[in-house]
Amino acid sequence: MGVIKETLSLLGLTVLFDFFKGIIERVKYIFIPPKAFSWQTLIYLSLFSWLMSSLADQGSAIRDIIAFFGWMFLIAGTSWYTTDKPLYIPGTVMPIGAVITGGIVSIFAFQQDFDETGIVRTVIFWPTISAIITAIPEFFEGSGTDVKRQLPKLEDRQSIIVLIGCCILLSCWLNLSIVVDDWFKQYPSAQYPIDQEKFPRTNDLLTTLEPENKTPQNGVLVLNKLQSAVETSLEGRNWSEVERWLKRARQNRNANGLGQKIINIHLAGFEEKELWEVKTDVDNIDPKDINSYRLDLFVVWKGPSASKNRYYLKNSCQLEPIAESIDIIGSQPERITVAEIECLPASRISYIAGKLPQRLIDN
Amino acid sequence: MLEYDLFDSLRVFPSGIILFDFLFILVATPIEAVILNQRLKFDKRTSAFYAISMNVFSNAIGWMIFFALEPTVFFGGYKLEVINYLLYNRLSNQVRGGIVLAAFITFFATLMVKFALLRILIISLSEPGEKKPQPSEENSGTVARRSLRDKRTLQSTSLFTTTLIANSLSYSAITLIVLFRWFALGNV
Repeated sequence: MGVIKETLSLLGLTVLFDFFKGIIERVKYIFIPPKAFSWQTLIYLSLFSWLMSSLADQGSAIRDIIAFFGWMFLIAGTSWYTTDKPLYIPGTVMPIGAVITGGIVSIFAFQQDFDETGIVRTVIFWPTISAIITAIPEFFEGSGTDVKRQLPKLEDRQSIIVLIGCCILLSCWLNLSIVVDDWFKQYPSAQYPIDQEKFPRTNDLLTTLEPENKTPQNGVLVLNKLQSAVETSLEGRNWSEVERWLKRARQNRNANGLGQKIINIHLAGFEEKELWEVKTDVDNIDPKDINSYRLDLFVVWKGPSASKNRYYLKNSCQLEPIAESIDIIGSQPERITVAEIECLPASRISYIAGKLPQRLIDN
Repeated sequence: MLEYDLFDSLRVFPSGIILFDFLFILVATPIEAVILNQRLKFDKRTSAFYAISMNVFSNAIGWMIFFALEPTVFFGGYKLEVINYLLYNRLSNQVRGGIVLAAFITFFATLMVKFALLRILIISLSEPGEKKPQPSEENSGTVARRSLRDKRTLQSTSLFTTTLIANSLSYSAITLIVLFRWFALGNV
Protein backbone atom coordinates (compact mmCIF):
# COMPACT_ATOMS: atom_id res chain seq x y z
CA MET A 1 0.00 0.00 0.00
CA GLY A 2 2.76 2.38 0.97
CA VAL A 3 4.47 2.14 -2.38
CA ILE A 4 1.26 2.70 -4.26
CA LYS A 5 0.56 5.74 -2.11
CA GLU A 6 3.99 7.23 -2.76
CA THR A 7 3.70 6.63 -6.48
CA LEU A 8 0.29 8.22 -6.64
CA SER A 9 1.34 11.22 -4.57
CA LEU A 10 4.30 11.74 -6.89
CA LEU A 11 1.83 11.75 -9.74
CA GLY A 12 -0.37 14.16 -7.78
CA LEU A 13 -3.25 11.68 -7.52
CA THR A 14 -3.67 11.48 -3.76
CA VAL A 15 -7.35 12.29 -4.19
CA LEU A 16 -7.77 9.15 -6.26
CA PHE A 17 -6.01 7.13 -3.61
CA ASP A 18 -8.25 8.49 -0.87
CA PHE A 19 -11.29 7.79 -3.00
CA PHE A 20 -10.39 4.15 -3.50
CA LYS A 21 -9.31 3.80 0.10
CA GLY A 22 -12.72 5.07 1.17
CA ILE A 23 -14.42 2.47 -1.00
CA ILE A 24 -12.21 -0.31 0.33
CA GLU A 25 -12.92 0.79 3.92
CA ARG A 26 -16.63 0.76 3.25
CA VAL A 27 -16.52 -2.65 1.58
CA LYS A 28 -14.48 -3.92 4.53
CA TYR A 29 -17.05 -2.47 6.91
CA ILE A 30 -19.87 -4.21 5.09
CA PHE A 31 -18.27 -7.57 4.50
CA ILE A 32 -16.16 -8.19 7.59
CA PRO A 33 -18.23 -8.86 10.68
CA PRO A 34 -17.19 -6.59 13.57
CA LYS A 35 -17.87 -9.35 16.08
CA ALA A 36 -18.85 -13.01 15.90
CA PHE A 37 -22.54 -12.37 16.54
CA SER A 38 -23.54 -9.91 13.84
CA TRP A 39 -25.69 -9.71 10.78
CA GLN A 40 -22.79 -10.37 8.43
CA THR A 41 -22.27 -13.73 10.11
CA LEU A 42 -25.89 -14.62 9.41
CA ILE A 43 -25.62 -13.64 5.74
CA TYR A 44 -22.42 -15.70 5.43
CA LEU A 45 -24.17 -18.62 7.10
CA SER A 46 -26.99 -18.34 4.62
CA LEU A 47 -24.55 -18.26 1.71
CA PHE A 48 -22.78 -21.28 3.18
CA SER A 49 -26.08 -23.15 3.59
CA TRP A 50 -27.00 -22.29 0.04
CA LEU A 51 -23.68 -23.67 -1.20
CA MET A 52 -24.05 -26.80 0.89
CA SER A 53 -27.63 -27.40 -0.20
CA SER A 54 -26.60 -27.08 -3.84
CA LEU A 55 -23.96 -29.76 -3.22
CA ALA A 56 -26.42 -32.11 -1.53
CA ASP A 57 -28.40 -34.67 -3.52
CA GLN A 58 -31.30 -33.44 -5.57
CA GLY A 59 -34.62 -33.95 -3.84
CA SER A 60 -33.18 -35.29 -0.61
CA ALA A 61 -34.57 -34.22 2.75
CA ILE A 62 -31.13 -32.98 3.87
CA ARG A 63 -31.01 -30.55 0.99
CA ASP A 64 -34.41 -29.13 1.90
CA ILE A 65 -33.46 -28.81 5.54
CA ILE A 66 -30.18 -27.02 4.75
CA ALA A 67 -31.98 -24.77 2.26
CA PHE A 68 -34.59 -23.99 4.89
CA PHE A 69 -31.87 -22.91 7.34
CA GLY A 70 -30.29 -20.86 4.58
CA TRP A 71 -33.53 -18.96 4.14
CA MET A 72 -33.89 -18.48 7.88
CA PHE A 73 -30.35 -17.07 8.14
CA LEU A 74 -30.97 -14.80 5.19
CA ILE A 75 -34.25 -13.49 6.64
CA ALA A 76 -32.71 -13.00 10.09
CA GLY A 77 -29.60 -11.32 8.66
CA THR A 78 -31.56 -8.96 6.43
CA SER A 79 -33.95 -7.97 9.17
CA TRP A 80 -31.05 -7.41 11.56
CA TYR A 81 -29.16 -5.25 9.09
CA THR A 82 -32.21 -3.24 8.18
CA THR A 83 -33.31 -2.67 11.77
CA ASP A 84 -29.82 -1.46 12.69
CA LYS A 85 -30.47 1.92 11.13
CA PRO A 86 -34.12 2.06 10.16
CA LEU A 87 -34.86 4.23 7.17
CA TYR A 88 -38.57 4.93 6.85
CA ILE A 89 -40.70 5.15 3.77
CA PRO A 90 -41.63 8.83 3.68
CA GLY A 91 -44.91 9.58 5.39
CA THR A 92 -45.38 6.16 6.94
CA VAL A 93 -44.22 4.24 9.98
CA MET A 94 -42.93 1.47 7.75
CA PRO A 95 -39.18 0.97 7.62
CA ILE A 96 -37.75 0.14 4.20
CA GLY A 97 -35.97 -2.77 5.87
CA ALA A 98 -39.31 -4.39 6.67
CA VAL A 99 -40.26 -4.14 3.00
CA ILE A 100 -37.04 -5.88 1.96
CA THR A 101 -37.38 -8.57 4.63
CA GLY A 102 -41.05 -8.94 3.69
CA GLY A 103 -40.03 -9.53 0.09
CA ILE A 104 -37.56 -12.24 1.07
CA VAL A 105 -40.08 -13.90 3.40
CA SER A 106 -42.67 -13.76 0.63
CA ILE A 107 -40.29 -15.35 -1.87
CA PHE A 108 -39.44 -17.98 0.72
CA ALA A 109 -43.10 -18.71 1.41
CA PHE A 110 -44.02 -19.23 -2.24
CA GLN A 111 -40.76 -20.67 -3.56
CA GLN A 112 -42.27 -24.14 -3.85
CA ASP A 113 -44.07 -23.30 -7.05
CA PHE A 114 -41.93 -20.61 -8.56
CA ASP A 115 -43.92 -20.40 -11.76
CA GLU A 116 -46.40 -17.79 -12.84
CA THR A 117 -48.84 -18.25 -9.96
CA GLY A 118 -45.96 -18.41 -7.48
CA ILE A 119 -44.52 -15.09 -8.61
CA VAL A 120 -47.95 -13.49 -8.64
CA ARG A 121 -48.61 -14.68 -5.11
CA THR A 122 -45.21 -13.48 -3.96
CA VAL A 123 -45.97 -9.99 -5.20
CA ILE A 124 -49.52 -9.98 -3.86
CA PHE A 125 -48.59 -11.00 -0.33
CA TRP A 126 -45.52 -8.82 -0.17
CA PRO A 127 -47.16 -5.70 1.34
CA THR A 128 -49.12 -7.67 3.91
CA ILE A 129 -46.10 -9.66 5.06
CA SER A 130 -44.02 -6.47 5.24
CA ALA A 131 -46.66 -4.85 7.43
CA ILE A 132 -46.70 -7.83 9.77
CA ILE A 133 -42.89 -7.73 9.96
CA THR A 134 -43.10 -4.04 10.82
CA ALA A 135 -45.57 -4.82 13.56
CA ILE A 136 -43.73 -7.72 15.23
CA PRO A 137 -40.85 -5.75 16.84
CA GLU A 138 -43.37 -3.43 18.48
CA PHE A 139 -44.50 -6.29 20.68
CA PHE A 140 -41.02 -6.89 22.08
CA GLU A 141 -38.77 -4.79 24.21
CA GLY A 142 -35.01 -4.81 24.65
CA SER A 143 -32.44 -6.14 22.29
CA GLY A 144 -30.12 -9.07 21.84
CA THR A 145 -30.51 -11.76 24.47
CA ASP A 146 -32.99 -10.35 26.96
CA VAL A 147 -36.31 -9.85 25.21
CA LYS A 148 -39.50 -8.98 27.04
CA ARG A 149 -42.96 -9.13 25.65
CA GLN A 150 -44.89 -5.92 25.80
CA LEU A 151 -48.01 -4.29 24.49
CA PRO A 152 -47.11 -1.32 22.33
CA LYS A 153 -48.17 2.15 23.35
CA LEU A 154 -51.64 3.27 22.36
CA GLU A 155 -50.45 5.51 19.54
CA ASP A 156 -48.10 2.87 18.20
CA ARG A 157 -50.89 0.36 18.25
CA GLN A 158 -53.09 2.71 16.24
CA SER A 159 -50.47 3.32 13.60
CA ILE A 160 -49.67 -0.41 13.35
CA ILE A 161 -53.34 -1.30 12.86
CA VAL A 162 -53.78 1.36 10.19
CA LEU A 163 -50.58 0.24 8.48
CA ILE A 164 -51.65 -3.42 8.43
CA GLY A 165 -55.08 -2.46 7.11
CA CYS A 166 -53.62 -0.33 4.32
CA CYS A 167 -51.16 -3.04 3.34
CA ILE A 168 -53.90 -5.69 3.22
CA LEU A 169 -55.91 -3.35 1.01
CA LEU A 170 -52.87 -2.86 -1.20
CA SER A 171 -52.55 -6.64 -1.50
CA CYS A 172 -56.24 -6.79 -2.45
CA TRP A 173 -55.71 -4.20 -5.18
CA LEU A 174 -52.75 -6.12 -6.54
CA ASN A 175 -54.83 -9.27 -6.60
CA LEU A 176 -57.66 -7.36 -8.28
CA SER A 177 -55.36 -6.32 -11.09
CA ILE A 178 -54.34 -9.95 -11.56
CA VAL A 179 -57.97 -11.10 -11.56
CA VAL A 180 -59.07 -8.44 -14.05
CA ASP A 181 -56.08 -9.16 -16.27
CA ASP A 182 -57.02 -12.82 -16.21
CA TRP A 183 -60.56 -12.03 -17.40
CA PHE A 184 -59.19 -10.30 -20.45
CA LYS A 185 -56.83 -13.18 -21.12
CA GLN A 186 -59.87 -15.45 -21.17
CA TYR A 187 -61.87 -13.03 -23.32
CA PRO A 188 -59.25 -11.36 -25.55
CA SER A 189 -61.72 -10.80 -28.37
CA ALA A 190 -63.93 -8.54 -26.26
CA GLN A 191 -61.62 -5.59 -26.90
CA TYR A 192 -62.18 -5.56 -30.66
CA PRO A 193 -62.72 -3.92 -33.09
CA ILE A 194 -59.97 -1.39 -32.51
CA ASP A 195 -60.91 1.80 -34.21
CA GLN A 196 -60.59 4.88 -32.05
CA GLU A 197 -62.47 7.06 -34.53
CA LYS A 198 -65.48 4.87 -35.14
CA PHE A 199 -65.67 3.31 -31.70
CA PRO A 200 -64.09 5.68 -29.22
CA ARG A 201 -63.57 4.16 -25.81
CA THR A 202 -65.10 5.80 -22.80
CA ASN A 203 -63.81 3.53 -20.09
CA ASP A 204 -62.44 5.27 -17.06
CA LEU A 205 -62.22 2.15 -14.95
CA LEU A 206 -59.51 0.30 -16.82
CA THR A 207 -56.24 1.29 -18.39
CA THR A 208 -55.80 -0.95 -21.39
CA LEU A 209 -52.85 -1.35 -23.65
CA GLU A 210 -54.08 -1.64 -27.18
CA PRO A 211 -53.87 -5.25 -28.35
CA GLU A 212 -50.93 -5.96 -30.63
CA ASN A 213 -53.02 -7.34 -33.47
CA LYS A 214 -55.55 -5.33 -35.39
CA THR A 215 -57.70 -8.40 -35.92
CA PRO A 216 -58.97 -10.71 -33.17
CA GLN A 217 -56.50 -13.59 -33.26
CA ASN A 218 -58.94 -16.23 -32.06
CA GLY A 219 -61.38 -15.39 -34.84
CA VAL A 220 -58.65 -15.49 -37.47
CA LEU A 221 -57.46 -18.82 -36.08
CA VAL A 222 -60.92 -20.36 -36.24
CA LEU A 223 -61.53 -19.04 -39.74
CA ASN A 224 -58.22 -20.36 -41.08
CA LYS A 225 -58.69 -23.76 -39.47
CA LEU A 226 -62.25 -23.91 -40.76
CA GLN A 227 -61.09 -23.06 -44.25
CA SER A 228 -58.47 -25.79 -44.29
CA ALA A 229 -60.92 -28.28 -42.78
CA VAL A 230 -63.45 -27.51 -45.50
CA GLU A 231 -60.76 -27.76 -48.14
CA THR A 232 -59.53 -31.14 -46.95
CA SER A 233 -63.03 -32.56 -46.74
CA LEU A 234 -64.13 -31.32 -50.20
CA GLU A 235 -61.03 -31.08 -52.38
CA GLY A 236 -60.87 -33.80 -54.97
CA ARG A 237 -64.04 -35.48 -53.79
CA ASN A 238 -66.66 -36.85 -56.08
CA TRP A 239 -68.84 -33.98 -57.30
CA SER A 240 -72.14 -35.56 -56.35
CA GLU A 241 -70.85 -36.16 -52.86
CA VAL A 242 -69.77 -32.54 -52.63
CA GLU A 243 -73.14 -31.35 -53.84
CA ARG A 244 -74.81 -33.37 -51.12
CA TRP A 245 -72.47 -31.82 -48.55
CA LEU A 246 -73.30 -28.35 -49.82
CA LYS A 247 -77.00 -29.07 -49.74
CA ARG A 248 -76.80 -30.05 -46.10
CA ALA A 249 -74.61 -27.07 -45.29
CA ARG A 250 -77.16 -24.78 -46.94
CA GLN A 251 -79.76 -26.06 -44.52
CA ASN A 252 -77.85 -26.20 -41.25
CA ARG A 253 -75.69 -23.16 -42.02
CA ASN A 254 -72.89 -24.40 -39.75
CA ALA A 255 -70.59 -26.28 -42.13
CA ASN A 256 -72.19 -29.56 -41.06
CA GLY A 257 -70.91 -29.27 -37.51
CA LEU A 258 -67.30 -28.68 -38.58
CA GLY A 259 -67.27 -25.21 -37.04
CA GLN A 260 -68.25 -26.31 -33.57
CA LYS A 261 -65.58 -29.02 -33.63
CA ILE A 262 -62.89 -26.56 -34.65
CA ILE A 263 -63.87 -24.05 -31.98
CA ASN A 264 -63.85 -26.77 -29.34
CA ILE A 265 -60.39 -27.95 -30.37
CA HIS A 266 -58.56 -24.72 -31.06
CA LEU A 267 -60.13 -22.43 -28.47
CA ALA A 268 -60.15 -25.02 -25.69
CA GLY A 269 -57.94 -22.81 -23.51
CA PHE A 270 -60.25 -19.81 -23.64
CA GLU A 271 -63.47 -19.18 -21.79
CA GLU A 272 -64.59 -17.09 -24.73
CA LYS A 273 -65.03 -20.16 -26.95
CA GLU A 274 -68.74 -20.13 -26.12
CA LEU A 275 -69.01 -16.75 -27.77
CA TRP A 276 -67.68 -17.66 -31.19
CA GLU A 277 -69.99 -19.13 -33.80
CA VAL A 278 -69.42 -20.43 -37.28
CA LYS A 279 -71.91 -19.74 -40.05
CA THR A 280 -71.85 -20.76 -43.68
CA ASP A 281 -73.71 -19.57 -46.70
CA VAL A 282 -73.95 -21.55 -49.93
CA ASP A 283 -75.03 -19.97 -53.17
CA ASN A 284 -74.56 -20.31 -56.92
CA ILE A 285 -71.99 -17.92 -58.28
CA ASP A 286 -73.91 -17.40 -61.46
CA PRO A 287 -77.66 -18.09 -61.28
CA LYS A 288 -77.54 -19.60 -64.77
CA ASP A 289 -74.70 -21.94 -64.02
CA ILE A 290 -75.98 -24.34 -61.41
CA ASN A 291 -72.72 -26.23 -61.35
CA SER A 292 -70.50 -23.76 -59.59
CA TYR A 293 -70.96 -22.72 -56.00
CA ARG A 294 -69.78 -20.05 -53.67
CA LEU A 295 -69.26 -21.05 -50.05
CA ASP A 296 -69.02 -18.17 -47.58
CA LEU A 297 -67.50 -18.90 -44.20
CA PHE A 298 -68.37 -16.60 -41.32
CA VAL A 299 -66.87 -16.58 -37.85
CA VAL A 300 -69.12 -14.49 -35.65
CA TRP A 301 -68.30 -12.92 -32.27
CA LYS A 302 -71.30 -12.88 -29.97
CA GLY A 303 -69.73 -11.33 -26.88
CA PRO A 304 -69.09 -7.76 -25.74
CA SER A 305 -67.38 -5.63 -28.34
CA ALA A 306 -66.51 -2.04 -29.07
CA SER A 307 -69.13 -1.79 -31.77
CA LYS A 308 -72.66 -2.21 -30.53
CA ASN A 309 -73.48 -4.60 -33.37
CA ARG A 310 -70.43 -6.78 -32.72
CA TYR A 311 -68.29 -8.03 -35.55
CA TYR A 312 -67.51 -10.99 -37.74
CA LEU A 313 -64.83 -12.37 -40.03
CA LYS A 314 -65.54 -13.69 -43.46
CA ASN A 315 -63.83 -15.75 -46.14
CA SER A 316 -65.21 -17.01 -49.46
CA CYS A 317 -64.48 -20.16 -51.40
CA GLN A 318 -65.40 -21.18 -54.91
CA LEU A 319 -66.34 -24.74 -55.82
CA GLU A 320 -66.30 -26.04 -59.33
CA PRO A 321 -66.57 -29.48 -60.87
CA ILE A 322 -63.65 -30.64 -62.94
CA ALA A 323 -63.35 -33.76 -65.01
CA GLU A 324 -60.61 -36.15 -64.14
CA SER A 325 -59.71 -39.46 -65.58
CA ILE A 326 -58.63 -42.36 -63.46
CA ASP A 327 -56.62 -45.23 -64.83
CA ILE A 328 -58.01 -48.50 -63.65
CA ILE A 329 -55.78 -51.45 -64.29
CA GLY A 330 -57.15 -53.85 -66.84
CA SER A 331 -59.86 -51.66 -68.25
CA GLN A 332 -60.40 -48.35 -70.03
CA PRO A 333 -59.66 -45.04 -68.25
CA GLU A 334 -62.78 -43.86 -66.43
CA ARG A 335 -63.83 -40.25 -66.39
CA ILE A 336 -65.24 -38.89 -63.16
CA THR A 337 -66.17 -35.42 -61.95
CA VAL A 338 -64.44 -34.18 -58.84
CA ALA A 339 -64.65 -30.91 -56.96
CA GLU A 340 -62.07 -28.17 -57.04
CA ILE A 341 -62.16 -25.67 -54.19
CA GLU A 342 -60.40 -22.36 -54.06
CA CYS A 343 -60.57 -19.99 -51.12
CA LEU A 344 -59.28 -16.46 -50.69
CA PRO A 345 -55.82 -16.30 -49.12
CA ALA A 346 -55.58 -15.55 -45.39
CA SER A 347 -54.47 -12.00 -46.12
CA ARG A 348 -57.78 -11.23 -47.80
CA ILE A 349 -60.08 -12.22 -44.98
CA SER A 350 -62.72 -9.55 -44.44
CA TYR A 351 -63.14 -8.24 -40.93
CA ILE A 352 -66.43 -6.43 -40.58
CA ALA A 353 -67.87 -4.54 -37.64
CA GLY A 354 -71.61 -4.87 -37.64
CA LYS A 355 -74.39 -7.38 -37.87
CA LEU A 356 -74.37 -10.46 -40.05
CA PRO A 357 -76.54 -10.32 -43.17
CA GLN A 358 -80.14 -10.83 -42.09
CA ARG A 359 -80.64 -14.12 -43.95
CA LEU A 360 -77.92 -15.78 -41.85
CA ILE A 361 -79.34 -14.91 -38.47
CA ASP A 362 -81.21 -17.75 -36.82
CA ASN A 363 -84.75 -17.13 -35.91
CA MET B 1 -37.63 -21.39 -14.65
CA LEU B 2 -38.67 -17.78 -15.17
CA GLU B 3 -40.83 -17.72 -18.23
CA TYR B 4 -42.96 -14.93 -16.98
CA ASP B 5 -43.42 -11.79 -18.97
CA LEU B 6 -44.83 -9.18 -16.67
CA PHE B 7 -45.38 -6.72 -19.50
CA ASP B 8 -47.36 -9.26 -21.44
CA SER B 9 -49.25 -10.17 -18.32
CA LEU B 10 -50.49 -6.74 -17.34
CA ARG B 11 -52.03 -5.42 -20.52
CA VAL B 12 -55.15 -4.43 -18.62
CA PHE B 13 -54.82 -2.60 -15.34
CA PRO B 14 -57.84 -1.64 -13.21
CA SER B 15 -56.46 1.81 -12.38
CA GLY B 16 -59.88 3.44 -12.40
CA ILE B 17 -61.37 0.87 -10.06
CA ILE B 18 -58.50 1.34 -7.61
CA LEU B 19 -58.72 5.14 -7.81
CA PHE B 20 -62.48 5.09 -7.23
CA ASP B 21 -62.03 2.70 -4.31
CA PHE B 22 -59.45 5.06 -2.86
CA LEU B 23 -61.78 8.01 -3.42
CA PHE B 24 -64.63 6.19 -1.65
CA ILE B 25 -62.42 5.57 1.39
CA LEU B 26 -61.24 9.17 1.27
CA VAL B 27 -64.83 10.43 1.28
CA ALA B 28 -66.24 7.95 3.78
CA THR B 29 -63.53 8.26 6.41
CA PRO B 30 -63.98 11.94 7.44
CA ILE B 31 -67.76 11.59 7.48
CA GLU B 32 -67.60 8.57 9.77
CA ALA B 33 -64.92 10.18 11.92
CA VAL B 34 -67.15 13.19 12.54
CA ILE B 35 -70.10 10.97 13.46
CA LEU B 36 -68.00 8.87 15.84
CA ASN B 37 -66.54 12.00 17.38
CA GLN B 38 -69.93 13.62 17.91
CA ARG B 39 -72.02 10.69 19.02
CA LEU B 40 -69.57 8.54 20.97
CA LYS B 41 -67.42 11.39 22.30
CA PHE B 42 -64.12 9.84 21.28
CA ASP B 43 -61.39 12.39 20.89
CA LYS B 44 -60.58 13.50 17.36
CA ARG B 45 -57.51 11.32 16.82
CA THR B 46 -59.21 8.20 18.14
CA SER B 47 -62.34 8.69 16.04
CA ALA B 48 -60.20 9.28 12.97
CA PHE B 49 -58.35 6.07 13.77
CA TYR B 50 -61.60 4.13 14.17
CA ALA B 51 -63.01 5.55 10.95
CA ILE B 52 -59.88 4.82 8.90
CA SER B 53 -59.47 1.29 10.26
CA MET B 54 -63.16 0.46 9.87
CA ASN B 55 -63.20 1.59 6.28
CA VAL B 56 -59.89 0.10 5.22
CA PHE B 57 -60.55 -3.26 6.83
CA SER B 58 -64.16 -3.52 5.67
CA ASN B 59 -62.97 -2.62 2.18
CA ALA B 60 -60.33 -5.34 2.29
CA ILE B 61 -62.87 -7.87 3.61
CA GLY B 62 -65.21 -6.88 0.80
CA TRP B 63 -62.51 -7.52 -1.78
CA MET B 64 -61.72 -10.88 -0.20
CA ILE B 65 -65.38 -11.90 -0.41
CA PHE B 66 -65.29 -10.84 -4.05
CA PHE B 67 -62.17 -12.91 -4.70
CA ALA B 68 -63.86 -15.88 -3.06
CA LEU B 69 -66.97 -15.42 -5.23
CA GLU B 70 -65.12 -14.69 -8.46
CA PRO B 71 -64.28 -18.28 -9.47
CA THR B 72 -67.78 -19.57 -8.68
CA VAL B 73 -70.47 -20.38 -11.22
CA PHE B 74 -72.65 -17.70 -9.67
CA PHE B 75 -70.25 -14.95 -10.65
CA GLY B 76 -69.42 -16.68 -13.93
CA GLY B 77 -72.95 -15.90 -15.09
CA TYR B 78 -72.31 -12.18 -14.69
CA LYS B 79 -68.72 -12.07 -15.92
CA LEU B 80 -69.62 -10.96 -19.44
CA GLU B 81 -71.82 -8.19 -18.07
CA VAL B 82 -68.94 -7.05 -15.87
CA ILE B 83 -66.50 -7.09 -18.79
CA ASN B 84 -68.96 -5.21 -20.96
CA TYR B 85 -69.40 -2.61 -18.24
CA LEU B 86 -65.71 -2.25 -17.47
CA LEU B 87 -64.71 -1.87 -21.12
CA TYR B 88 -67.61 -0.03 -22.66
CA ASN B 89 -69.75 1.26 -19.81
CA ARG B 90 -72.72 -0.69 -21.06
CA LEU B 91 -75.25 -2.24 -18.75
CA SER B 92 -77.96 -4.53 -19.98
CA ASN B 93 -81.42 -4.06 -18.54
CA GLN B 94 -81.49 -7.55 -17.04
CA VAL B 95 -78.81 -6.79 -14.48
CA ARG B 96 -80.07 -3.43 -13.24
CA GLY B 97 -82.37 -5.04 -10.71
CA GLY B 98 -79.52 -7.28 -9.63
CA ILE B 99 -77.30 -4.27 -9.05
CA VAL B 100 -79.85 -2.66 -6.75
CA LEU B 101 -80.15 -5.92 -4.82
CA ALA B 102 -76.35 -6.27 -4.63
CA ALA B 103 -76.04 -2.69 -3.37
CA PHE B 104 -78.68 -3.41 -0.73
CA ILE B 105 -76.89 -6.55 0.46
CA THR B 106 -73.51 -4.77 0.39
CA PHE B 107 -74.87 -1.98 2.56
CA PHE B 108 -76.11 -4.29 5.30
CA ALA B 109 -73.10 -6.58 5.08
CA THR B 110 -70.81 -3.55 5.42
CA LEU B 111 -72.85 -2.36 8.37
CA MET B 112 -72.40 -5.69 10.15
CA VAL B 113 -68.70 -5.86 9.32
CA LYS B 114 -68.09 -2.29 10.44
CA PHE B 115 -69.95 -2.85 13.70
CA ALA B 116 -67.91 -5.97 14.42
CA LEU B 117 -64.70 -4.16 13.46
CA LEU B 118 -65.52 -1.23 15.72
CA ARG B 119 -65.98 -3.53 18.69
CA ILE B 120 -62.72 -5.36 17.95
CA LEU B 121 -60.88 -2.06 17.53
CA ILE B 122 -62.20 -0.73 20.83
CA ILE B 123 -60.95 -3.89 22.52
CA SER B 124 -57.59 -3.60 20.74
CA LEU B 125 -57.05 -0.12 22.11
CA SER B 126 -57.96 -0.96 25.70
CA GLU B 127 -55.24 -1.75 28.21
CA PRO B 128 -55.60 -5.27 29.64
CA GLY B 129 -55.80 -4.18 33.26
CA GLU B 130 -57.84 -1.12 32.59
CA LYS B 131 -61.57 -0.63 32.37
CA LYS B 132 -62.97 -0.50 28.86
CA PRO B 133 -63.29 2.98 27.42
CA GLN B 134 -66.86 4.10 27.75
CA PRO B 135 -68.23 5.00 24.37
CA SER B 136 -71.65 5.97 25.73
CA GLU B 137 -70.58 8.67 28.09
CA GLU B 138 -73.52 10.79 27.07
CA ASN B 139 -75.70 8.36 28.98
CA SER B 140 -73.41 8.07 32.00
CA GLY B 141 -76.00 9.60 34.32
CA THR B 142 -78.52 6.89 33.68
CA VAL B 143 -75.96 4.15 33.17
CA ALA B 144 -74.73 4.47 36.74
CA ARG B 145 -78.04 3.28 38.07
CA ARG B 146 -78.41 0.32 35.76
CA SER B 147 -77.03 -3.15 36.19
CA LEU B 148 -73.88 -4.18 34.35
CA ARG B 149 -75.80 -6.23 31.83
CA ASP B 150 -78.09 -3.36 30.95
CA LYS B 151 -75.10 -1.14 30.55
CA ARG B 152 -73.53 -3.49 28.10
CA THR B 153 -76.61 -3.72 25.92
CA LEU B 154 -76.99 0.03 26.01
CA GLN B 155 -73.39 0.50 24.95
CA SER B 156 -73.93 -1.98 22.21
CA THR B 157 -77.10 -0.32 20.92
CA SER B 158 -75.45 3.05 21.01
CA LEU B 159 -72.48 1.69 19.09
CA PHE B 160 -74.78 0.03 16.60
CA THR B 161 -76.89 3.13 16.01
CA THR B 162 -73.77 5.19 15.52
CA THR B 163 -72.34 2.69 13.04
CA LEU B 164 -75.67 2.69 11.21
CA ILE B 165 -75.71 6.48 10.94
CA ALA B 166 -72.06 6.69 9.93
CA ASN B 167 -72.42 3.94 7.36
CA SER B 168 -75.61 5.44 5.90
CA LEU B 169 -74.04 8.86 5.52
CA SER B 170 -70.86 7.54 3.94
CA TYR B 171 -72.85 5.35 1.57
CA SER B 172 -74.98 8.34 0.59
CA ALA B 173 -71.83 10.26 -0.26
CA ILE B 174 -70.49 7.33 -2.29
CA THR B 175 -73.82 6.98 -4.09
CA LEU B 176 -73.64 10.67 -4.98
CA ILE B 177 -70.19 10.13 -6.49
CA VAL B 178 -71.42 7.12 -8.45
CA LEU B 179 -74.44 9.06 -9.71
CA PHE B 180 -72.23 11.99 -10.63
CA ARG B 181 -70.01 9.69 -12.67
CA TRP B 182 -73.11 8.16 -14.25
CA PHE B 183 -74.40 11.54 -15.39
CA ALA B 184 -70.97 12.77 -16.42
CA LEU B 185 -70.58 9.80 -18.75
CA GLY B 186 -74.04 10.47 -20.10
CA ASN B 187 -75.45 6.97 -19.97
CA VAL B 188 -78.78 7.68 -18.33
